[in-house]
Amino acid sequence: MTNDAQTQIKDTVTANDVVLFMKGTSDAPQCGFSSRVAGVLNYMGVAYKDVNVLADEAIRQGIKDYSDWPTIPQLYVKGEFVGGCDIITEMTLSGELDQMFEQNGVTYDKDAAEKIREANA
Amino acid sequence: MPISDEIRDALKNVFNPQHIEVIDESEAHRGHAGYTEGGGSHFRVRMRADAFKGQSRLERHRAVHAALGPGLIGRIHALALELES
Repeated sequence: MTNDAQTQIKDTVTANDVVLFMKGTSDAPQCGFSSRVAGVLNYMGVAYKDVNVLADEAIRQGIKDYSDWPTIPQLYVKGEFVGGCDIITEMTLSGELDQMFEQNGVTYDKDAAEKIREANA
Repeated sequence: MPISDEIRDALKNVFNPQHIEVIDESEAHRGHAGYTEGGGSHFRVRMRADAFKGQSRLERHRAVHAALGPGLIGRIHALALELES
């Protein structure tokens, strides 16, 4: 599977520690599921690259092929696909997301993560 | 047959779950992207099955995607999954 979109996706997830493929942008999400994941990352102060799939049809389809995953948003850390909205939400609440960021040297605000968990307890 | 029944049947056949709920949440997404009048766009599945034992979250979700197939997945806008073993 070598085409421009696949190459572009691989380059993006390789060059950036944390990448969120989403509908809309981190400032202006255009879908509730994308908004939820972007909101978690924003609140936790994680530096990430947002890729708006609505701006590029080849990427919108290409990212589904890349991960063999049918939905958006999709979160990547150090080039590895982590999950979509449900999985990121579950990992946030269980603390697994914190662990994964720590294992990969991604800076985040632990207090903010605790606040999310307290609010959802 | 409503799409929620198609989803339930497909998952029952593959996973033989102890518990399964398929909820059409489309009305809660009225006005959002993908919403269509009359529902059938946004679904939530709560399922408990032995098949998920020892599987990661990604593996469980992928197994559900595979069981539904691209035909069914392609007809809905959103599918929230709560999967337990």
